[in-house]
Amino acid sequence: MQYWINFKGVQSGPVDLDGMKQMGLTSAAYVWHEGLADWVKITQLPELQGCYVMEAPAVATRPAAVNGASEPQQPYQPQSQPYQPQDTPVTEPCPPTNLVWAIIATVLCCLPAGVVAIVYALKVTNKYREGDIEGAKRASETGAWWCIASIVLGIVSMPLSMLIMSPGAF
Amino acid sequence: MRRTLVIVVVLAVALVLAVIYYALDPSSSAVFPHCTFLAVTGYKCPGCGSQRAIHALLHGDVADAFRYNALLLIAIPWIGLCLYAESRRTRNPRLYARLNAPALIWTFLAVVLLWWLLRNIFDW
Repeated sequence: MQYWINFKGVQSGPVDLDGMKQMGLTSAAYVWHEGLADWVKITQLPELQGCYVMEAPAVATRPAAVNGASEPQQPYQPQSQPYQPQDTPVTEPCPPTNLVWAIIATVLCCLPAGVVAIVYALKVTNKYREGDIEGAKRASETGAWWCIASIVLGIVSMPLSMLIMSPGAF
Repeated sequence: MRRTLVIVVVLAVALVLAVIYYALDPSSSAVFPHCTFLAVTGYKCPGCGSQRAIHALLHGDVADAFRYNALLLIAIPWIGLCLYAESRRTRNPRLYARLNAPALIWTFLAVVLLWWLLRNIFDW
């Protein structure tokens, strides 16, 4: 596995486990590898034990992290990942996928609009993973409207259908 | 504060609905709404049978609930888990991301569509 490292504001990588041991890292370092949504502290990855020495947190750590000095705002962009545009901060959390509401709408509301909302949930996750935060937000919003439409139309249309159907159809 | 209010209201509504669905049987009582999709097209939707399934579940009859709407029964544990993840979306983004993985959503979508198709073919 290849790792990228952010240590004291300097980014480097990719390196493997043996390479990391040579770097003299401390517990203040951040690491990222493919598959991680964001940078994590080196202490959070159990497989990296032995690649760093523990360091007492400095008094200045907290304000520095708030200013973004020690926390990586822009992760290292390896060449193998051309789908993550340079200007996209991966630190932003994924917008809501509304998946739960889509599932509830599908299972409990009779208009199958919930299925559309599920498709939009998929779109949110995919776009977020491609680094397209704006696209993910748009898909999140559209999906939310499909959930609302599904639930509202379901409730509104149910009494109408009672006129047509005999009891016990739903 | 607002969050607590929302949770209290949702729980109160759920409790009232549970009492109604426990006391009255949707398959014989006329007060329950019917599926619009079924009324208009003549085909069952993925949610058809959910009211009867909930009634059966509230009476502890899992087999009957499964017969009325198998998808609902399968979805309930997942809905619970997703709601939990949703409530901690910012505090635990890892769980959220894991539950919203494309492979999982694709699977659910396929299950829903297959269930929709098959229940109309075999009259489940």
